[in-house]
Amino acid sequence: MSSIKEYLTNDHRRCDDVFAKMEERAHNSLLDAKELTQEFIANMERHFQMEERVMFLEFETKTDMTMGPTEMMRQEHSQMRNLMSQLLEAIENDDKDKFFGLSETLMILLQQHNMKEEQMLYAMAQQHLSAESDRIVEMMDSLVVE
Amino acid sequence: MDFNGLSIDQAPPISAPLRFFIMAPIFGILVGFLLLFSDSATLMNRYSIDAIVVVHLITIGIFGFIMLGALTQMLSVLAGVNIPKIETVATFSHAALLLGLFSMVFGLEMSNTLLLRLASLFLGSGFLVIIGSMLYAIKGVQHFTASIKGMSVALIFAFMIVLMGVYLLYGYSENDITGLHYIVANIHSVWAVFGFAGILIIGVAFQVLPMFYVAPRFKQFCKKRVVLLISTGLFIWMVLSIFAQEHTLYAKLWVTTFFWAFATTVWIKFNKRKRPVSDVTVWYWRAASIFLTLGSFLWIYDEFFKHEYIVMVGILIGGGFVLSIMLGMLYKIVPFLVWFHLNALGYMTIPTINEMINKKFSRLQFLLLMLSLVGFIFSFYMSEFLIPSSLFFIVSMAILEYNILAPVWIYHTTRKKKPDFDMSAFSMT
Repeated sequence: MSSIKEYLTNDHRRCDDVFAKMEERAHNSLLDAKELTQEFIANMERHFQMEERVMFLEFETKTDMTMGPTEMMRQEHSQMRNLMSQLLEAIENDDKDKFFGLSETLMILLQQHNMKEEQMLYAMAQQHLSAESDRIVEMMDSLVVE
Repeated sequence: MDFNGLSIDQAPPISAPLRFFIMAPIFGILVGFLLLFSDSATLMNRYSIDAIVVVHLITIGIFGFIMLGALTQMLSVLAGVNIPKIETVATFSHAALLLGLFSMVFGLEMSNTLLLRLASLFLGSGFLVIIGSMLYAIKGVQHFTASIKGMSVALIFAFMIVLMGVYLLYGYSENDITGLHYIVANIHSVWAVFGFAGILIIGVAFQVLPMFYVAPRFKQFCKKRVVLLISTGLFIWMVLSIFAQEHTLYAKLWVTTFFWAFATTVWIKFNKRKRPVSDVTVWYWRAASIFLTLGSFLWIYDEFFKHEYIVMVGILIGGGFVLSIMLGMLYKIVPFLVWFHLNALGYMTIPTINEMINKKFSRLQFLLLMLSLVGFIFSFYMSEFLIPSSLFFIVSMAILEYNILAPVWIYHTTRKKKPDFDMSAFSMT
């Protein structure tokens, strides 16, 4: 079983790959990219929920830091959710410029967010939750997205 | 574990990097005008006063300002640490570097002892305060990634080249130019280009290329060894230039091999990137790879021609490699910072980062810069190329200033409106 850090970091890379495919498809036709955009958003939502409903809660319970870094990560999740919903709107309006403007913004926001998580939060979570690592990874793995 | 930088509350204020970024193209315009009214023969002598002035307006005014501005921001994102009292440090260093640079320019041109002493004081304190603060902040990093190691080593080189620079300025102020002065000047310039700028760029590339372009990751050997190997090469080169000048070629070969390999690797990584976008930032990275390759080879070739081509090497590596990367990064950083800070303040209806900078203007700016760089190289042989190239450079820098100011303007006008959401509930302070 991989560690919390490895599991969530690998999931970041999976989302990046779908993002790249989505952009590639969108270059040819926005409408053709709709399915991949939905897939990307679904993957991201699953990742966010694995963190918000499992890992962050465990971390907060263990460290008593409820208004700390996890809250800030939730805030950035909400920024990204907002951008992702606009991506779908851009597809509906067949507005390529808007789509790529949003995807570029999302990409940078996403990457700097991932970097903070991978280099700080996950490392910290792994340190505090190492004894429960397997259980937490299993819970994240079996999560049903709401 | 330090969580500074995880939130907007503790992120560096937007003014810290922007104050540096906004000034850089202004120095570029100034350089363009100086070149326009210069004599190409004088500029070809790297130790002529005019050449020293132009080079430092570029290296301190453009490169230094962009790199320091970017580092104030990057340390919090890449390393998770914040520079202590960042606002005070950035304000002080920015002002001191501005005063120092102008004192240096006028002090050298007018051979004025007082101005040159002031230049040593302002440039020395301006650089050392911000570099020292950054190194102090990095001390708190618990997970040293390859990028952070690269940044740290680059900052240590920066610290040393500043000390050498102060010594060199002191030499001019006392009119005491000895043989040692030229040796130190040579080490100062080579370490500035390869040790500070070069290693910083390599360190940042380890993180930025896979992230922003979904390019393949760098191999563990690159991430773990290259910065160390280049630093060792630069150190050996320094020892040889002091004690065995005739053998410096071996150390040069060592250093350039890694930079050439880096240039090639960047090119290949862009070819293999999963993200197909090809914007001006990609063009800048690609141009930088080409210029770095040419510059590295010419630096070696130059060894056999009594350093006749050293100024051309400077144009290729300084202008073509370092400046290209700096501008490629600026086009990503500035609009993102504006978007990120506004969004975190609760503004939801703001332009996306692609809408903040006019694509046509950024492409034109790139094209003009490339034309000017090629023209500067040709003016080495045909002096009539200097005037059109300088004009291209001036216009390119003016467009760059506009491209930086446009998102900053959006930031200021948006801040005057009421946010869509009250974000004070998220405040940790």
